[in-house]
Amino acid sequence: MAEKGGKGYLPAKGGKSALKSPVGNGDSSTKSKKGKKVQFDSEDSFENNIPKSNGKADTPAGKGGKGDKVANGTKKPTVKTPSPTERRLEQELPPNSVCLMDCEAAEILQDIQDHMVILSQDPDIKLPVSFDTGLTYAKRGGNYAKPQTVKKIFEPLKKHGVSECEICLIANICPDSVDEVFALVPTLKPKMSKLREPLRIALDELGNLKEALANLKDSK
Amino acid sequence: MFFHIVLERNMQLHPRHFGRDLRDKLVAKLMKDVEGTCSGRHGFIVAITGIESVGKGLIRDGTGFVTFPVKYQCVVFRPFKGEILEAVVTMVNKMGFFAEAGPVQIFVSNHLIPDDMEFQSGDMPNYTTSDGSVKIQKDSEVRLKIIGTRVDATEIFCIGTIKDDFLGVISDPGATS
Repeated sequence: MAEKGGKGYLPAKGGKSALKSPVGNGDSSTKSKKGKKVQFDSEDSFENNIPKSNGKADTPAGKGGKGDKVANGTKKPTVKTPSPTERRLEQELPPNSVCLMDCEAAEILQDIQDHMVILSQDPDIKLPVSFDTGLTYAKRGGNYAKPQTVKKIFEPLKKHGVSECEICLIANICPDSVDEVFALVPTLKPKMSKLREPLRIALDELGNLKEALANLKDSK
Repeated sequence: MFFHIVLERNMQLHPRHFGRDLRDKLVAKLMKDVEGTCSGRHGFIVAITGIESVGKGLIRDGTGFVTFPVKYQCVVFRPFKGEILEAVVTMVNKMGFFAEAGPVQIFVSNHLIPDDMEFQSGDMPNYTTSDGSVKIQKDSEVRLKIIGTRVDATEIFCIGTIKDDFLGVISDPGATS
């Protein structure tokens, strides 16, 4: 049982997953359900091609990329040849796109919603359904941490080549352990030895922050 | 995942809107036309956060409409293959279950649910482990991984899996300790 991955309840520790169903299984079930041709974008990969904060894809060290490279947005990967998927991601997102942590997005969207009280007198201005669902999703779990604080916690990881998007992903997942991070963000695995300690420190700090916020909320 | 991006759009304005409130009318029209839409490239445009620039208007021959190129900043929600999302289950059937994460719908096939979970039909269909300790039903929160995306004209639909380590049920509304 330890060999089976994904026991269906978190935390599911005790063995790396040996069972990874191919994308095709999911495709075929949906295809037969819908009864029409459905094209699933299997090239749109996040695993190996997480975009940098400026929209350029981050090449993992395993592919010959420079693992110590910092994604500061001013460097251009002129030496590396990006894979077709990376090129596609770069084309898809504008070059000046910035990944947002869920807490960041929640802050921005909440601000807009607060302003809607003023703007709501204009009947033409209405918030779409996706706004409400997006805001609810961003605020899930009672995440009251300030984005600046969370960013400071993960700032040391940038020195070890972790991209802005990978940091956002880790912050959104709120992992309990370093093993969880490497299991869920496979692009960090090539840098495992360098990242283990800084990640552990960051996760401990994040855990303390969440505990402090939870205590603050309970005391109110 | 949420992104903050700058997009550009050509906005057409009828001459009746020209006047001192032209810019406001343009922005209002932009918000009406763009917010809540979805494209395969950028995902769901959740909200416009600002206007970067409004270019010079060009009169369209024969109609009198004027086209303004508008650059605007917005928050978008775009899922990626390999991304880890926390979603709320909306429907369970024997083929798998549907879940929602923000504006995105995700389907998890029964092939991508751990083998030790079986479908239980009834008033509240669910997937349950053999010992009954873990249950996936409507309103359960699950952590899943996106393994594929499909883009329609107005929405993005994803396929997910919970068959990997550290994926699965986060909280179950009907769970009894």
